[in-house]
Amino acid sequence: MAIEIAKTRLLMDLKHGRPLVGCRFDPSGRYLFASSEDDTIVRFDLLTREKVALVGHSSWVRGMAFVSKPTLVPAASIPALAVHGGLGAVRMPEPFTLLSGDYHGNLLWWHGTEAAPKPFRTVAAHAGWIRAVAVSPDRSTVATCGNDQLVKLWSAADGRPLATLEGHTSHVYNVAFHPSGTRLVSADLKGNIKDWDLSSGKPVRELDAKVFHKYDSGFWADIGGIRGIAFNSAGTQLACIGITNVSNAFAGVGNPLVVLFDWAEGKPKLLKPKDAFQGTGWGVNFLTDGTIVGAGGGGQGRIWFWNPADAANTHTVTVPTNARDMTLHPDGTALAIAGANGTCLVYSMTQAPAATPKK
Amino acid sequence: MNNCNYACGTADHTVNRRLFLGGAAAGLAGFAGMTTPAAARELKSAQKRMLVIFLSGGVSQLETWDPKPNTDTGGPFRAIPTSVPGIHISELLPEAAKRMHLLTLVRGINTKEDEHGRGATIMLTGRRTEPGLVYPHVGAVAAKLLTDKDAELPGHIQITPRGGGGFNKEDAAFLGPKFASVTLGDGKPPADLLRPAAITTDAEREAFRKKLNDRFAKSRRSAQTEAYTESYEQAAKVVSRADAFDASREDPKAADRYGRHDFGRHMLLARRLLEQGVTFVKVSHTNYDTHHENFDFHIEQLGEFDRPFAMLLDDLKERGLLESTLVVVMSEFGRTPRINDRYGRDHWSKAWSVAMAGCGLKAGAVVGKTNANGTAVTDREVNGGHLFHTYFRALGMDPTKNFYPAGRPVPIADPKAAAIHEILS
Amino acid sequence: MGSLRFRIGAFALLILVSPSMGSEPPLRERIDRHIAAGLPNYDAIAAPIANDSEFLRRVTLDLTGRIPSATEARAFLADSSADKRAKLVDALLASPEYARRMQEVFDVLLMDRRRDSKVPRAEWEKFLRSSFAANVPYDDLVRDILSSDGADPKTRPAAKFLLDRDLDPTIVTRDIGRLFLGRNLQCAQCHDHPLVDDYKQEHYYGIQAFFNRAFLYPKPDDPKAVIAEKAEGEVNFISVFDPKKVQKTTSPAVPGWKPIGDPKLEKGKEYKVAPKKDVKPVPAYSRLAQLATAITADENIAFRRTAANRFWTIMMGRGLVQPLDFDHSANPASHPALFEMLAEEFEKKNYDVKGLLREIAMSKTYQRSSEPTVAGKDLAEDRYATAILKPLSPEQLGYATMQATGLTDVYRTELAKKYSEEALHAKLASNLGPFRSLYGTRAGEPEEGFASTLDQTLFVKHGGHIRNLIAPRTGSLVERTAKLTEPSRVAEELYLTVYTRLPSDEERKDIEDALRGSANRTATLGDIVWAMLASAEFRFNH
Repeated sequence: MAIEIAKTRLLMDLKHGRPLVGCRFDPSGRYLFASSEDDTIVRFDLLTREKVALVGHSSWVRGMAFVSKPTLVPAASIPALAVHGGLGAVRMPEPFTLLSGDYHGNLLWWHGTEAAPKPFRTVAAHAGWIRAVAVSPDRSTVATCGNDQLVKLWSAADGRPLATLEGHTSHVYNVAFHPSGTRLVSADLKGNIKDWDLSSGKPVRELDAKVFHKYDSGFWADIGGIRGIAFNSAGTQLACIGITNVSNAFAGVGNPLVVLFDWAEGKPKLLKPKDAFQGTGWGVNFLTDGTIVGAGGGGQGRIWFWNPADAANTHTVTVPTNARDMTLHPDGTALAIAGANGTCLVYSMTQAPAATPKK
Repeated sequence: MNNCNYACGTADHTVNRRLFLGGAAAGLAGFAGMTTPAAARELKSAQKRMLVIFLSGGVSQLETWDPKPNTDTGGPFRAIPTSVPGIHISELLPEAAKRMHLLTLVRGINTKEDEHGRGATIMLTGRRTEPGLVYPHVGAVAAKLLTDKDAELPGHIQITPRGGGGFNKEDAAFLGPKFASVTLGDGKPPADLLRPAAITTDAEREAFRKKLNDRFAKSRRSAQTEAYTESYEQAAKVVSRADAFDASREDPKAADRYGRHDFGRHMLLARRLLEQGVTFVKVSHTNYDTHHENFDFHIEQLGEFDRPFAMLLDDLKERGLLESTLVVVMSEFGRTPRINDRYGRDHWSKAWSVAMAGCGLKAGAVVGKTNANGTAVTDREVNGGHLFHTYFRALGMDPTKNFYPAGRPVPIADPKAAAIHEILS
Repeated sequence: MGSLRFRIGAFALLILVSPSMGSEPPLRERIDRHIAAGLPNYDAIAAPIANDSEFLRRVTLDLTGRIPSATEARAFLADSSADKRAKLVDALLASPEYARRMQEVFDVLLMDRRRDSKVPRAEWEKFLRSSFAANVPYDDLVRDILSSDGADPKTRPAAKFLLDRDLDPTIVTRDIGRLFLGRNLQCAQCHDHPLVDDYKQEHYYGIQAFFNRAFLYPKPDDPKAVIAEKAEGEVNFISVFDPKKVQKTTSPAVPGWKPIGDPKLEKGKEYKVAPKKDVKPVPAYSRLAQLATAITADENIAFRRTAANRFWTIMMGRGLVQPLDFDHSANPASHPALFEMLAEEFEKKNYDVKGLLREIAMSKTYQRSSEPTVAGKDLAEDRYATAILKPLSPEQLGYATMQATGLTDVYRTELAKKYSEEALHAKLASNLGPFRSLYGTRAGEPEEGFASTLDQTLFVKHGGHIRNLIAPRTGSLVERTAKLTEPSRVAEELYLTVYTRLPSDEERKDIEDALRGSANRTATLGDIVWAMLASAEFRFNH
């Protein structure tokens, strides 16, 4: 189905009850994994609406990624497999691995499709928080980053440490593989983005996203960080989201912002919400048509859509809770946010099917 | 592996907090004013002292002294074991945890006041705000009760994060300005303490002033004129000891240990002042008012607090001063067990904690208890009044005695409360 | 104003009538008799009458808040007329500086150096100053202060006492008791005063009942708020010592007097203007309107006692009842008969402030030297055998420093024909700030005792403000004396200017010695002036 941003609508709300921290659709499109302040990860089955709690972490999880076979969801959705409003999903997904990193520094491996997944591997990966987990395009390598100012690479197959990338001087908030698989970016509290050459393990350049950082001299504290990060599928653009213009760090007074980098040139472009919303951007993604979508929140939440040619966003969706994370469905037509109110909200970016007549 | 020392001890962080200038200044001045452990030990027997570390804004009890991990209110951090078996505190205080055997935790505080100013009043005066009544701050009371008559330095000093020092007349209330605090803004000495270069003939003019006063006093004197002329002698003594206010005269190795950031420098200055005989020092560390991203900000602030606090405990212990120095880590209140939608915690006075050390308090002890998720005190509830009584009992004073401002009796501590006797020796 | 006209009339009548009554000696003499009676062998023990220098400096500071200039000192010392002290007192009382001084004293007394909230300082000061300049009877002044609701711009300044306390019931009750009744009833808020039998909880609430129905309209934090009142509301109190917890109530009452019961009003007629949203209600009967009259009523002896005691203290440096707000039977006056007489006399003379101050200033008691006799050396202050050494108030110290260093005269010269007290004050005011902030007590707290603090001393020792005042400029003391060649004349100019007296031979020699060895005459003179300003003789009114 064609994406029609202006038609974005709530498709379903998946209630957990305890505040959510992160969310990811699995590659088959059938499950939505949401991590919570209760230290669990909840697996919502979009087909059956079954809810399974993954118990194994003893702290909050924000980083989640998958190791799977390639392309489980066909480019065009298969009507037979459609759930709710045309969202594509694979009825019988191939087994995949979920990797989740928590705020105690532990990286857990799970069989994502099991009826009641148990962690089958635990790696004490970082001192302090793991803030993000990413898997390389060839599915061989896992990258993690955290408050110990380190980026680490692991073997996806067996959890062996492969490399430690040192150089950040503040908490590392996010990490992402370039679609080519040869480069990795990591982004920190101060808005420094490092571009690592994976063949040498050396940083080759730095991108400047310091607009996301501020030392609030009123409260004597740093605020910032790249809260969400994504490459477009062609690898020509890198999008980062966070908070900027902070006037009061301790009340969260500031504005969400997306910085869009031209990958080749490293040139940034600032994408701002057109409303004067106060809060933090927590997730960013590229739609197949090149549209950039961001989500975040302060008191409430928002989803913003940008045409990369425009600085101000073209469409805004109001979310009834602070959106603390965002994930794009593999069929490209839906996204979900992790709500501070304990609910995952799934939005379809397509025209609603004609209303079924009331009986 | 577990011990992520959360201090963000990076170079650019310390630039943010302004660089510690110790090295250069000390190089010129030498270490003439440095107090040796031996000299400090001599001080210890004579006088009791108090150090308050005030974590401004309201530090989270759940991220410090009373963690509730893996509950709906606990947040993401671990509780870690301490040097005292059975007592756990937040992983954000790894250095303090190693010194739990020196600490006393009061976990059952309910001050029933969620507003910053009034909360601070409760914690600093041991009483709730009452219109028309102003009570002296703990530092003024300590200075009044404990400072030797012949002391050369002021008895009540506070070190604040920002510049703008000076003399405060508010906080001594009826005890009088003599016991009001001298503020060392960002640890700098008060205005006019150092003699300006323009004054080159101070000795001559002082001699002339004395001659005039002696002549006047031959026929006319009163307690007030004596106090007035005496204040110049006292000021001269303070001026002559201005280096007591200069932390850059401390060993650079100590500065390294405390951390080369503002709070480290302020804590080192606090140690120096206590060793030089100042009765009461309050160091404020800011800020903890984390309505937003409580966890990130507590990592940052406590990461800065933990080490200098531990170093100061070590130094006081090593120099034999801890037994005569009462150390209290307080705040205006704690923070809500409930985590709000912006990962913040809000103001919360119903169930929070204070840490103390020294002066004969039962070390390695915990008094008071909160329920499983920290939303209520379940055992040995105390308020600011109880704490105030406890401080002065520990300092060897009877807080049920009275002051007599304008001839009227005012009990030193709130008569509705009493000391927490379980933690007194 | 009706009452004022009546009083002027009555006063005139009194003047006409009193000579024929003849028998009673002037108040000043009665004061002296009472004081003398307070100590066996008083006349032998008491210090002699102060010399002209001492008297001039003292009375000028007390009545105008500054020290005399060297020119004024020379003139007074040279005057050989017998009644020169009386003429001086009259001149000082007639001067605009007198009104300024009283304005400053009563501002601190009534407002405790609070920060402005509803009535701008300038308007309040003008109200006080013009009242004292016109010698408005003190009870009228207090009635103005306690009866203004702030609604009429003309009388709004007088409402500062109530408005800038935000009508806070605890603070207003405390301060009405302290300032107008001589009793601090704060300890009687929760129970009868534990130490003073005379102070009852019902006294506290009797005062509070005058304004318990009053509130700030439209809202308390509105800087333009006025006082409005409801027609209902009672004060209720329980003694915390009462095991039965009996709840009591009272209508407005002056301590020791029967409560003023509220009139019975027909139901539905409680208001002239009924309360409604955004409407200021006006009750048919106002409790607050009774306050000013009740406090200043003739039968309320406490009012005139504390009033007389306050003015006595301004002049003498000590209250006949001490502390000033602790008048009760177990804390008798140092001279009970004098105290009673002074209070009665003040009331009888229609609270004539200048009249009272004049009589005190002309008494021997006031004019005693501050140098005690051998026998008087260790006597208690409250025998008034020797003049009490009074620390200068922050304002006095500031003005005295500016006069002594020459700044005041420099400004006078600058103003030349444009000179007026107000114009001069406007120039001096900014230099007064540091003195007020360093030497004044905490905002909102009454002045109490004397303390010399480190910050004050460092301010004098190292501060730029004093250094700048001393620095030579055309017409300043250092500049004037630097031009004099004869060391003895230098000494005279210095001592007359700073201490209002001529130097002794010894003191002349000191100056001569200091200048002889000096490589830099101006600098040495600066040091000498500094030492004099920092000395006790300058810091105190003696």
